[in-house]
Amino acid sequence: MKVLLSTLAMLGVSGALCAQTLTDGVMMPRRDLCTGFVYEHDRWSEYWEGTLKRDNQNIGSLTTRSVVWMGTYGVTDKINVIAMLPYVSTSASQGVLHGMKGVQDLTLGVKYEALAKPLGSASLKLFAVGSVALPLSNYTPDFYPMSIGSSSRRASARLTLNYTTRPGFFANGSGAYTGRANVTLDRSSYYTDGHLYYSDEVAMPNVIDYTFSVGYRRSGLVAPFSFTQQHTLGGGDIRRQDMPFVSNRMNASRVDAGVLYYVPKVRNLALKLGATRTLTGRNVGQATTLQAGLMYTFHFGGPRS
Amino acid sequence: MKRSWLVASLIWVLSLAAIRCSNDIPTSSLPSGGSGSAAGGPVGARLGRPDTNAGTWRMIVLTSANQVPVPAPSAVTSAEYRAEIAAITAAQAGLTKEQQAKIDYWSTGGVLRWNEILRELVARYNLPPAPREDGSYVFPDAANPFADPQFPFSNPPYAARAYSYVSVAQYEALKAAWLYKYQYRRAAPSAVDASVKALAPAGDVPAYPSEDAVLSGVAEIVLRALFPAAVDEIDARAAEQRDAALWSGRAAPSDIAAGHALGRAVAPLVMARAGADGMRNAIGNAALWQGLADSTAAKGQTPWKSLETPPRPPMLPFFGNVRGWNLTPEDFVRERPPAPPSTSSEQMRQEVAEVKNTVENLTREQLAIAYKWSDGAGTYTPPGHWNQIAADYVVGAGYSDVRTARLFALVNMAMHDAAVGCWEAKYTYFNPRPSQMDAGIKTPIGLPNFPSYTSGHSTFSAAAASVLSYAFPSRTAELDAMKDEAGLSRLYGGIHYMSDINAGKDHGRRIGGYTVEFARRDGAD
Repeated sequence: MKVLLSTLAMLGVSGALCAQTLTDGVMMPRRDLCTGFVYEHDRWSEYWEGTLKRDNQNIGSLTTRSVVWMGTYGVTDKINVIAMLPYVSTSASQGVLHGMKGVQDLTLGVKYEALAKPLGSASLKLFAVGSVALPLSNYTPDFYPMSIGSSSRRASARLTLNYTTRPGFFANGSGAYTGRANVTLDRSSYYTDGHLYYSDEVAMPNVIDYTFSVGYRRSGLVAPFSFTQQHTLGGGDIRRQDMPFVSNRMNASRVDAGVLYYVPKVRNLALKLGATRTLTGRNVGQATTLQAGLMYTFHFGGPRS
Repeated sequence: MKRSWLVASLIWVLSLAAIRCSNDIPTSSLPSGGSGSAAGGPVGARLGRPDTNAGTWRMIVLTSANQVPVPAPSAVTSAEYRAEIAAITAAQAGLTKEQQAKIDYWSTGGVLRWNEILRELVARYNLPPAPREDGSYVFPDAANPFADPQFPFSNPPYAARAYSYVSVAQYEALKAAWLYKYQYRRAAPSAVDASVKALAPAGDVPAYPSEDAVLSGVAEIVLRALFPAAVDEIDARAAEQRDAALWSGRAAPSDIAAGHALGRAVAPLVMARAGADGMRNAIGNAALWQGLADSTAAKGQTPWKSLETPPRPPMLPFFGNVRGWNLTPEDFVRERPPAPPSTSSEQMRQEVAEVKNTVENLTREQLAIAYKWSDGAGTYTPPGHWNQIAADYVVGAGYSDVRTARLFALVNMAMHDAAVGCWEAKYTYFNPRPSQMDAGIKTPIGLPNFPSYTSGHSTFSAAAASVLSYAFPSRTAELDAMKDEAGLSRLYGGIHYMSDINAGKDHGRRIGGYTVEFARRDGAD
């Protein structure tokens, strides 16, 4: 593995690395745009009904396929804007429930490099990230697990601390608080968390998440391994043999391995691969997610060496 | 450095400002009454005509309004009563905000409040049993209500019957209370003695026996029998209702004691009827379920089968034999809709295609209608939805408590009869769902686990709409539109053919007519 990494590093692929996520510790330089599409395949056949892990033969396995457009642009070397927009479709392998599909939520974020401190041959950086997610289509959040999303407008405030050594090893810690706006159903009452509510509006509990990553990053390659924990700060459990509900307390811990590999012979083109597995959860499926995509970097500021 | 944090803070503040969060979602659709309410005054339910002759209105289960005797109260000049007044005055002097909130809550009207509590109980218990490891299902056990599966599974027939027994018991008990109220004519404490404040509207209705306490007593017996696992909550609410009656100056302790005793005496008379109405035989057994499939196949028709995995026994297949309120068993057979299109007919083929075509080309508006009326597992069921509509109509209608109870009794008798009639038809014909006829039909709402023909939603809705149209004739067009939309929602949901919907609406209207006939002759109009 180490040999491979060194070899890749020696290839000296041109161009800055593409930053794609709100949680990573990478910035696009001024007037660089990294953009591309990623295909995601997410599947679970067991889920947590509250804290009870079970299967459901009227669902079989639930598959969510997404095509996500992503883009990150360097406004300055220290300020990046990030956008993401998925098209999502769901289907169940058994039972009669109808799948759903549609354009989901546009995420718009601003990432700011608030602090960069050299520590010997390494560097320590602190990032502040603010983002919003805005549902772009009128999909229903009232048909979990088939719904394509929560349809809630969301806003996150995130802090990321990144430590990178000169050879390119890094450790990253990131945490965010996400506020979620009420969502609207097509019915005038619903039962959740021990109450019958007389409204088409559902209060959505807010969410905190934190991620720790370690990995290797050089020009030409980024390979992170991450652990992520998501906690929903409220909401009810799925009751015995009930359907899930949009405001359920959805918690999960996940591990994630990924690689972003710059194709040697094509300038600025990177292959992105990733796999995520849910380890523990509450009111969520134990999902395995695979992703593959292509990212391309445009240098509007002119070519770089 | 400072500038860095300024930029970071700005980013966060802008992000968080982009959304609006509110956790203030109402758990009631009813306005709060009483002097402390935000609305600034009492609601219509307590302002109407006093219905002084309600003690003469036709009884449903009881032989007469005075079947349960209520002794004469002491005079308002007696030492006993003076002591009660002193007790109320003392309670009012130390009234907390929480106590005032409870007064406001209950002064919306006890019938409306208990109906709302009942809807919540139905939603809470409306969950099917989970399959066991070996693929079998255990039925909920009334003797062990806290187990898994919990008792009851308040599915639509169970709920229709529950709403009707609660409403009828309330109505019978309130007619009895009204008889004694106008026999003894003892006024509310706030009207007797100026030292007692009227913290909730008392109206002109005499206080003895207290209608609030009557309703609390009925709830303790009837709701407990129907939802035994919720006993603590029911008892607490009932006690709170009696407390609120006293704190508000509406009723003296002796008014409350007499009402409580009357409610607790009338309720078992009504529940005795429930105990003998055939509900205990509504589930049947595996041999009987197989018999339904075999007799359907023998007629050359494709029999219904459960599309769940593992296959779930059909929901209450013999509920069609349960005793109705305003239809006799012979009436139910006579009113049964004609047979559905043969499962091998060209019409059936076309109707299956229509369902598939509808679901695959559903507009967002149609999907919204499917969800609006879905009323599936975990909801207050279609009968609950129509109780909600009835409650919306009653608020502001100027009804006395006893007239409110009458409306809910009428609507719920009609919907119970609709449930019996519909289930009788469903299990007579044992007709398959669209997704059974064409496995390619996937449904955007849950698929009910019982035969297709006729549509329960359509039957419930038409029955409820006929009764509500009788009571609120100016709203007939609106009710018709709601009934039609509820019916169509099942086509949009991919779970019913148009034949099911049309036959169900016609059936429900005819069944509702029996209750309307009862209402026209009960002495209340």
